[in-house]
Order: sequence, then structure tokens, then C-alpha cells
Amino acid sequence: MDSFIQQLINGITLGGIYALIALGYTMVYGVIQLINFAHGEFFAAGGYVGVIFLSFFAGLGYMETHPVLCLTASFILAMMYCAYLAIGVEKIAYKPLRKEARLAVLLSALGVSIFLSNGLMLTQGVYVKAYPSELFQGGLNFGMITISYLQILIVSLTAALLVALNLLVFKTKIGMAMRATAQDKTMSALVAIGSNNIISLTFGIGAALAAVAGIMMGLYYGSVNYDMGFVPGIKAFSAAVLGGIGNITGAMLGGLIIGMVEIFGAGYISGEYKDVFAFIILIGVLYFKPTGIMGENIDDTRV
Amino acid sequence: MSKKIFSTVLMSLLLMSFVISTASAETLKIGSMSPLTGPYASDGTDIKNGVLTAIEVFQQQEGGIPGYDKIELFPQDDVCDPRNAVAAANKLINLKVVGVIGAYCSSCTIPASETLDEAKIVMITPASTNEQVTDRGLPYMFRMCGRDDDQAPAAAKFMKESLNAKTIFIIDDKTTYSQGLADGVSKNSKALGMNVLTHDHVNQGDKDFSAVLTKVKAAKPDILYMSLQGYSPAALMTIQAKRMGITAQIVTQDATFQPKFMEVAKDTAEGVYLTYGFTDPTTPEYKAFEQIYVPKYGKIAAYATYAYDSTIALLKAIKAAGSTDPDKIKAELMKLDFKGASKHVKFKANGDSGSSYIAFKVSNGQFVPYWDPAKGLIK
Repeated sequence: MDSFIQQLINGITLGGIYALIALGYTMVYGVIQLINFAHGEFFAAGGYVGVIFLSFFAGLGYMETHPVLCLTASFILAMMYCAYLAIGVEKIAYKPLRKEARLAVLLSALGVSIFLSNGLMLTQGVYVKAYPSELFQGGLNFGMITISYLQILIVSLTAALLVALNLLVFKTKIGMAMRATAQDKTMSALVAIGSNNIISLTFGIGAALAAVAGIMMGLYYGSVNYDMGFVPGIKAFSAAVLGGIGNITGAMLGGLIIGMVEIFGAGYISGEYKDVFAFIILIGVLYFKPTGIMGENIDDTRV
Repeated sequence: MSKKIFSTVLMSLLLMSFVISTASAETLKIGSMSPLTGPYASDGTDIKNGVLTAIEVFQQQEGGIPGYDKIELFPQDDVCDPRNAVAAANKLINLKVVGVIGAYCSSCTIPASETLDEAKIVMITPASTNEQVTDRGLPYMFRMCGRDDDQAPAAAKFMKESLNAKTIFIIDDKTTYSQGLADGVSKNSKALGMNVLTHDHVNQGDKDFSAVLTKVKAAKPDILYMSLQGYSPAALMTIQAKRMGITAQIVTQDATFQPKFMEVAKDTAEGVYLTYGFTDPTTPEYKAFEQIYVPKYGKIAAYATYAYDSTIALLKAIKAAGSTDPDKIKAELMKLDFKGASKHVKFKANGDSGSSYIAFKVSNGQFVPYWDPAKGLIK
């Protein structure tokens, strides 16, 4: 039982990170029906910006005096960087192709992904970069169960961001504009919604969330490497599809499910087949419900 | 205007190809094969750097090879993927290299050596420790590092005699190398009367080990034996294990012998044991290597030293053979008997050069020789 609860905590932590990345896939798909394969690279870039700033602050000695401030600053800087990176990518690589066949944009996205990943390798090197370790050492112990402070941070920050995103999309004017653009670009343009701005905003928000996930991944695992975006990118994409691509709540749910299945598969059956279980669940759900778990009312809630 | 630019470009290209073709007549080509991209890019880059250092040192100390002004390296990227390794081998055959240093992963060295063997090209691996590398009887296959069937008994003996272990939990990541070694450790540990609780597997490229480590925590073994390809998953697993409060001693293997391991795992790396071939860092041969390597490429890592010695051995043999005939080079390689940076180099009939596994312990951010299977604790 102890180990079950421990695995549950592990699963929620991993699932939360997947959920944050999955949101970017799902939001972009909702607005322009593009699978943005470069999204995993925004996640990696976020992890790197985080480690660069945290190491910089640590070098100046601010980490010891103001750890929370440094961490917050790193989060914000990484989010901004990734948001602008994503907006730039959209302007350069996707916008000119928006009128072309959908396959052209998809290939462009794959190209951007390879470009960004190799760019990261060339500028940051092939070696793993370590995060400063002084942050959030230790945790709470309940008998055999250990919840590290980092896990608490990750889960609570993820939850807060998910709530904030939901409020933004469903309660504000900007959110309404996003939903309108998702439903019908021409019609929304007629009621004075600048669809280009909304698309940029969507890319920016998605990438900013990925950047947060990148830093959390770096903190959680203690290091980042240049190809870290690929595997979580694929997993998060699967999570978005599982939840019903285009649906925000679906992406969160999908992320949690993929994370849990992975951890429980590894914990109770065998570590070597954990990805197999994640994808069996994906195939199983899609077989019975091709639109994904939350995918039925796709026209109302998608972004 | 654009026509002018075009013709200039064309002219310069023609000139360049002319320059290259005249130069190649006096250039000795050797190849290297290691992962330069992908998850093991750092280990592969160490190997390439070791080879480059060797070429430089060889030209300085031995004055190069008569008849050639230049020794050129053609580094190939195999991404630790058998398919890429075979493609890289074919490319090196087309480039007409005289010898190849590589690969890193046993799963690449084995298929690539078959291809190179058909073209009669000498291959010296600095890093592939799986037994099959030299046990297939390929005539042009040599190995500078040790063998896993020497490493596994050394590791088992160390856990039994020095750490007084009774129970072991083994985790590998299913590569030819890591799983082969883990199986060997499991077999040897059982033979020594230790209890192997579980032998679990993770996947290459995994970052999250919380599930399997929760199992370790519940099993409460004396030893957690990690056989993972590369230092980076080993560092991740160490951090996560310590963070989870696992108190088992962590023992790992040669792929972890990389200063970056401590850089990533930091204080959680303290007290981790690993087996690696013994190298004396005080010899003049090691110093010669260190002097050139360190200023250019930074800290000396896992297989750079073996890559260096492999290259020196190859170049010495080519020089002694006085030709690029593979059989003559092979004959000269078999005759070699010199002090290398990593160890005393002398090849056996099967292409191996012997193992010298000892246990190291991480202390104060350094790999410190800790225990020798023949002599016990090293003071």
C-alpha cells in the first residue's frame, strides 16, 4: 500500500509535467489545426534558459540570499524567451504556409524541430548541464512514503497554471477571442478579432507553459540535455490526442493518465514495457472513441 | 553580375577540388566512429577528442609517418545505433581509411566490424566491452578496453568481499553492453552466494526512474547495481535514488567513469562505487596525453584515454609496417609492446589487450581507486 501511494505521487508529478507540455500541442491544434512538432523543443529551450539564469544567479551569490526570487525570475525569463521563440517560429515557418496544404506546415514543423534541437546542441554543447542542486532539498516523510518538496512544488505550480489557463480561456475576453478564432477564422475576423495576434498569443502561451515544464523537469531530474525535448514531446502529444486534441481539459487529463500509466506500468509490471502500456491505453481509447476522451464537443471548447 | 559570381564560385570550387585531390595523395586517412549526436554524444565526443589528441602527439613525438605529410581523421557519427554504425562503416570504406577507432556502444561495434572486416580494415575499439566484440574471431578486430566477463566477476567479488553484501537489486537499460554486463553480474553474484532480489530493466533515454526506484526502496537491498549506458542516466538514477531516501550502496560500471557524473549528481554521487580499468595518472605517457588533451577539451573522461592509446597503437603499427596493407598492419599490431597512457599495450591472439578492473569510489567529487580484486583495499 505504501508503495502504491508512492507510485501515485510519482505518477501525478510526471503526469503534471506531461500535461503542461500537452496543453501547447492542443491549443495550437485547436486554433490552426497544426500538430506543432517543434513544441518539444520549446520545452527543452525553457529548461536551458532556466539553467543558464539559475547558474548565473548562483554565480552572483543571489541563490543563497533570495532563492525564491531567483527561481521566480528564472521562470519568468524562460517563459518570455520561449513565448517569443514560439511566436518567431510561427511567423517564419508556419504563417507563410498557412494557405498551403496542411502537410506542408507539418513538414515545416518537423524541420523546425530538428533545427532547434541541433541549434541547442551547437550552442550549448553535447554535454548534460546540471541544475544548481541547493534548491528544494529534502521532503516530507510518512513512514515509507517520501514526498519531496520538489514534487510538491511541481504539482502545485502545475495545478495553479492549469486553473489560470482555464480562467483565461473561458472567463476573459482574450479567451473568448481565442475560442472564436478556433471555431471560425473568417467569421471572427469579421467581428474585429485579429486572428494573427490570437494565433501568436496561442503559440506564446503554449510555449510559456512548456518552458515552465522544462525548468521543472530540470529541477526534478537535476539536469538538462539538448535532446530532452523529443521523448516528452512525443508523450505529451500522445496525451493531447488521448484527451481529445484541441480540448484543454482533455490535455490535462491525458497528461495525467499517460504519466500514471507509465509509472504504474513500470512499478507493477516491468520498467521496460512502460511506454508500451502508455501507448496501449492510447490505442485502446482511440479505438473506442476516435476523438479522444474529451473530444466530443470539440467545436465548443477547443482553443 | 550574378553570372560573374556564379563563375567565381565555380572556379573556386574547381580549384578547391584540385587542392584536395593533390593533398590527399600524401594524407593518411583514419576513421573514427562514435556517437556525436544523440544521448551518448558526450561519450562519443570524448573518443573523437582522444583520437585527435593522439594524432597530434604522434606527429610531435614520432614525427608522423614517412611518406605522408599529414594524418587526417574522418570522424563518423553512429548515434549508438547499429544501422548508422553500418552506414558509417561503409562510408569509411569508401573514404579508403587505413584503420578505424570505434565504436562506443558494443551494439554498434559488432555489426560495423563485420562490414569493415569484409573490406579488410583494422578496427580498434576503445570502449566496447561486450565479449562478442572479440569472441567472433574477426581477424582485424582489436580492443583497447577490458571485457565484461572480467568486469562482472570483479564487480561481484567487490560487492561480496569489500561491501559484505547479501542482497542485490540489479537494473539495466537493455543495450548489448548494459544488459550483457548486468546478466554477468547477476550470474557471478549468485555464484558467490549473494541473493539477487530482482533484475529489472528500464529503457534507453529514460529520465524518470521513480517507479523502479520505489520498488528498490520496498525491496531494501544491500546493493543497487546500475548497469546503464552512459554517465547521464546513471547520474539521474543516483539523484532520484538518494532523494527518495534509498540507503542501499550504489555500485555501477565503466560507462559511468566520466567526471560529468559528479557534476550532474553533485553530492549525491559521493560514496558511489564503480568498476573501471586501472590507469596510473602519474606515468609520463599519461602526462603527455594530459598536456595536449586538457587545455583543448577539458577534463579527461571515460574513454578518451583508451581512444588515445588505440590511435597511438594503430599509427605505430602503420609506421612499422611501412605500408597500408591490412595484413602487415595486423602483424605489426600483434608485435606491439609499449607503455600507453591508459595501460601497457600488448594485444593477445584474439585482439584483446587484457582487463585491469578495480573498484573506484567517488569521494570529494573525484574517482578514487578503492579496491583491487587481487590486493583488496587500496590505501
